[in-house]
Amino acid sequence: MTTDLVIGMAGAGGDGVIAAGEAIMTAAARGGYRAMMTKSYGPQIRGGESSFKLRLATEEIFNAGGMLDIAIALNWDDFLRFGAELPVDGRTTVIYEAASGVGTDMLPLAGVSPAEALAVPISEMARASAGTDAASNTVVLGMLAEWLGVPEDSLLAGLRKRFARKSPEILAGNERAFAAGVAFASTHQLRADRRLQTPSPPPAPRLLVDGNEMCAAAAIAAGCEFFSGYPITPSTEIMQFLGREIWRYGGTMLQAEDEIAGIGAVIGASFAGRKAMTATSGPGMSLKSEMLGLATIAEVPLVCVNVQRGGPSTGIPTKSEQSDLFQAAFSAHGDVVRPVLAPVSVADTFRMTVEAFNIAEQFQTPVILLSDAEIAQRKEVVDPIDTRALTIVNRRRPNERELESYARFQITESGVSPISQPGMEYGNYLASGIEHNERGAPTASGEMHARMTDKRIRKLAPLKARRDLFSIEGDADAPIGLVSWGSVSGVVSEAAAIARREGIRLKLLVPRLLYPVSEEIYEDFFASVRAGLVVEQSHQGQLFRIIRMYVDVPRGLESLARSGSNPISPHEVLDRVRRIVIAFQRARVPEAEPMAG
Amino acid sequence: MAYAPQDYKSELKPIWCPGCGDFGVVQAIYRALAAVGRPPHEIAFVSGIGCSSRIPGYTTTYGFNTVHGRALPIAQGIKLARPELLVLVAGGDGDGFSIGGGHVAHAVRRNVDLTYIVMDNQIYGLTKGQLSPTSPRGQRTVSSLEGSLEDPVNPLLYVLGYGGRFVAQGTPADLNGLTELIVAGLRYPGFAFINVQSPCVTYGRVDAQLKVHKATMKPLGPLGHDSADRLRAMDLAGEYGRTLYTGVFYRDPDPPPTYETLVAERQRAMAEASASREKILEMFVPR
Repeated sequence: MTTDLVIGMAGAGGDGVIAAGEAIMTAAARGGYRAMMTKSYGPQIRGGESSFKLRLATEEIFNAGGMLDIAIALNWDDFLRFGAELPVDGRTTVIYEAASGVGTDMLPLAGVSPAEALAVPISEMARASAGTDAASNTVVLGMLAEWLGVPEDSLLAGLRKRFARKSPEILAGNERAFAAGVAFASTHQLRADRRLQTPSPPPAPRLLVDGNEMCAAAAIAAGCEFFSGYPITPSTEIMQFLGREIWRYGGTMLQAEDEIAGIGAVIGASFAGRKAMTATSGPGMSLKSEMLGLATIAEVPLVCVNVQRGGPSTGIPTKSEQSDLFQAAFSAHGDVVRPVLAPVSVADTFRMTVEAFNIAEQFQTPVILLSDAEIAQRKEVVDPIDTRALTIVNRRRPNERELESYARFQITESGVSPISQPGMEYGNYLASGIEHNERGAPTASGEMHARMTDKRIRKLAPLKARRDLFSIEGDADAPIGLVSWGSVSGVVSEAAAIARREGIRLKLLVPRLLYPVSEEIYEDFFASVRAGLVVEQSHQGQLFRIIRMYVDVPRGLESLARSGSNPISPHEVLDRVRRIVIAFQRARVPEAEPMAG
Repeated sequence: MAYAPQDYKSELKPIWCPGCGDFGVVQAIYRALAAVGRPPHEIAFVSGIGCSSRIPGYTTTYGFNTVHGRALPIAQGIKLARPELLVLVAGGDGDGFSIGGGHVAHAVRRNVDLTYIVMDNQIYGLTKGQLSPTSPRGQRTVSSLEGSLEDPVNPLLYVLGYGGRFVAQGTPADLNGLTELIVAGLRYPGFAFINVQSPCVTYGRVDAQLKVHKATMKPLGPLGHDSADRLRAMDLAGEYGRTLYTGVFYRDPDPPPTYETLVAERQRAMAEASASREKILEMFVPR
């Protein structure tokens, strides 16, 4: 029996690969398993190859897993196109279509001999049982149900739901295909035991959701009433979700004519008093830069989601990267500070989206929510979230006394001024991208500009004390420190847990607030640290460099950074950590202070 | 409560040059707003960047002086968020038909109830006299010393061509006529476009000043133009740059529902008594 398993499957478009992955995941989620699934497609608009990678576990997991335990190739060409996304090694069980004619000793896996290879007449079984190749994915489902021990009832219920709208014949055929898969697997036991332990049932039903859906749903929970955006991979599902749901809550979704108009409409709606959001990816962020500056100087609250993909320019639209951090922090002309938040998982996307709205409203500022394609497109089993316990922050309205002589941009002690909205009597003011005085009148006074700039930056200072926007795991006084952010932090978290089990004293800092940089929180973290790593998915190591702009980091702090979408595995992080420990111990021999133990 | 034009006039002193056409435009706007009679706090006045885009600051309404060329998307966001507001948009010809030209088509086809006033002076005044999208071919400016090599944009045909349902042109040389056009635009249920020939006294052509307008303008009313005749309106609009027609070129006598009306209908149709933001995650429970 096992507690943690990674399955990868690939086939041609129309093979139903994704449907099979979703079916197993849904059944597993209902059975109480933890699960994460990433999907991947070829660049073709229709009919290209597709694949999923699904990790199932009995305990909580933080990333979609590395090497495959079970690899399923409906045909080899399609499987091999996914390269490092479906990694196979000596521990993998490889199941593949026998009709490919490939012998088990001739697998097209360069330099890898998997633990076991099984040529299965998948399509032949599909034709024999259901009369069509199209049921191949259902045959695979049956085999996996048997080999993994995932409850058959649940999978069958899913099949019935899926084919209910089609003909009874198609459903009956798929039920026979499923049974054929089960029968095959029960007479072909795998050499490695791939049966999953039964998990303890969750106290309340868990959720099955991807990052983009979670972001959109969180926006609704946070009180978002207006969304406008433009289609762009990999963020479009946020717009689609809100375009479907937001009306029920009295809100509006406007598909704008371009990225600039999208954020423009959001600025207008927020100026008019509605909580508002836009979502995009790298190229859209570039186009929105000027509008973000307007929102900063006119002090208009809004949330701008950037689901990062490979860049620059069109880059690799479908693959994840963490290379837009510099842009999020710095792509503005003028003296601008704007908050940048990054979720670490689908579950965390809920909390960070609500936080983004709260921070935007509290400080009257645009907030950038820096998601990434990995989180956005990944489906996860998520623990139930108590939405009734949410803190929802609303912008500070002027009171009657303030409206007697209203100054929209009043320079207060906190830097936050009371904000009115059209329709509010005596609250009339001019909002502008031009520098203005406290009453909103345009000014070219250097003195006023300095005071207003200071106000706009000063008001964000309380954010830097938000320790709840940082998580630290591990030994508080550890000499080895790891820092990571976004989806990659889930990989580092797993590596850190293994390292600590090995006796290495280390700790991991995961910032959700990436900008402004909280000098104090990093300095506290680094106080005991002699050496360490900042792990992220960008060529330049953008977080590593931004931290060093603001913080005196330990001399032994290194960068582990690589462009997307080349996955960073827990073992790779672990190897670097071990090397750092060895180097550190060599250097510290005379002092005889053990690193481990 | 009745409002007088001066109720819409703010204390800010315009930065415009003495003799600028925009003084007349803002006067016409004060008068039109008084005629429509909405209190200033129920009006949002949005502009882009340029001399004329300073105009919201000279009114007592809620104003938003935004970025170059982007007043229309921002104004649509305001109107969709608060349909009960009266929303005006203003800017220059460069703002509307050069840098922001891409937004006009979509404002027209979406038909959000906005009144868009373009102060068309065929020059970039704020940056001191460069060629604008409506400058006539051959015009010499600091950025076209030997004369422009391009044909100008025709703002009237531009909007008519995309299906604009209210298209008018005025000049501050006829303040009463201009006021009437703005009132008609504000009252029109849908996107209304008013091109105002508002001369630049500093960098503008001598033959495009108020005195010349007064002498040469041809009001469409007395010519017997039927504003419901779209094809004839397009013929007349084709004279842009040659003949200064003033008045309503086209007014769809049977205006369709505005975008925000359709939005409200959809919201009503989809509203569920049980819809609670707190329950949004329930849809993700696998069943």
